Amino acid sequence: MSGKVAIGSDIGQARRAVEQLRMEAGIDRVKVSKAAADLLQFCTEQAKSDLFLVGIPAATNPFKEKKPCAIL
Amino acid sequence: MCDQTFLVNVFGSCDKCFKQRALRPVFKKSQQLSYCSTCAEIGKLERERPKLPDVELHQVAERVEALGQFVMKTRRTLKGHGNKVLCMDWCKDKRRIVSSSQDGKVIVWDSFTTNKEHAVTMPCTWVMACAYAPSGCAIACGGLDNKCSVYPLTFDKNENMAAKKKSVAMHTNYLSACSFTNSDMQILTASGDGTCALWDVESGQLLQSFHGHGADVLCLDLAPSETGNTFVSGGCDKKAMVWDMRSGQCVQAFETHESDINSVRYYPSGDAFASGSDDATCRLYDLRADREVAIYSKESIIFGASSVDFSLSGRLLFAGYNDYTINVWDVLKGARVSILFGHENRVSTLRVSPDGTAFCSGSWDHTLRVWA
Repeated sequence: MSGKVAIGSDIGQARRAVEQLRMEAGIDRVKVSKAAADLLQFCTEQAKSDLFLVGIPAATNPFKEKKPCAIL
Repeated sequence: MCDQTFLVNVFGSCDKCFKQRALRPVFKKSQQLSYCSTCAEIGKLERERPKLPDVELHQVAERVEALGQFVMKTRRTLKGHGNKVLCMDWCKDKRRIVSSSQDGKVIVWDSFTTNKEHAVTMPCTWVMACAYAPSGCAIACGGLDNKCSVYPLTFDKNENMAAKKKSVAMHTNYLSACSFTNSDMQILTASGDGTCALWDVESGQLLQSFHGHGADVLCLDLAPSETGNTFVSGGCDKKAMVWDMRSGQCVQAFETHESDINSVRYYPSGDAFASGSDDATCRLYDLRADREVAIYSKESIIFGASSVDFSLSGRLLFAGYNDYTINVWDVLKGARVSILFGHENRVSTLRVSPDGTAFCSGSWDHTLRVWA
């Protein structure tokens, strides 16, 4: 009986795997040239707001050291 | 007269996996073979995917300007953990950070002043996951206790944070990652038991579970809100899987890494995601092309990448490695632009701040560093 159960779950698992793969094979894909071009476009559009690329003056960057102040 | 047609099923040994199955004919290079349906579908998937890489990402990016020199230094060092820092997260106010460590302590810091605002000791060690709620009013954390607990943050000095703790998630193995969804009301968790799960914080009820990984799930990341209800997870089975949160179905799976995937992060547009793995590479997968489009690796890098994150525009990929360094990669061109030294042990976690002014890294050297 244990043999039968093992085969049963094997079939069930295999069936699910086949369905999953069938579904994955069936999705609509886009050519890499188009997908890459879109990634590029997003990058260049957002580059202006990316502070690591543009850099912010030390005065407004909360993490950069401010000029030392002297206590009078 | 017999006018019935019969379907003949040939049973036998599959030519690919050699298992005893019902076979169907498959033509490979004009030779007829017999495959079981599983191998036939895998073969079909393998034939569909390669049809699309007509050009590589770095070729398309050739006309983009190269990046200049970057000067990034440690601007703040957060000291206070007594043992390895395992995870950290930024608050939406771009200032507060929550971090968790091996000794069971979870600390909330003000990164501008380096002051500790809250500290709670978990009843377990190895708190491998922590997350800040979108409202900034609560944190979630968990680890070897197999649970994810939510602590509301209060500024009342008399209140004991541990008293208000709420256990939300229950797994059958360690909690490796957790994240709030767009609200404080739902939490997504990943666990060493191979599953991910979506929970309602208020009731602790399991809303959806995600089965499919063949081994421990180590990381997850939610898609940026504009692009809908999906998330990506990576695990010890070398697979990165993209899930639909509503149906619990795996929508896409990628298996090109050669070892455990330690970290996954969505590209800011939501159309791609990066992964960092113990095989010493980081890879970029495009969701619409359904394939890997870039590998970030160097022969000199032999230690695994533990944590990755993108800058706001997605042009830079920051990756923390087990050789104590942080490498900064040009996502489009595939080249390394900078290498940052400073930590005295493995970098275990790395996140860019919500406004992109800085990024924070946590390490096994017990400290967190904010770089800008």
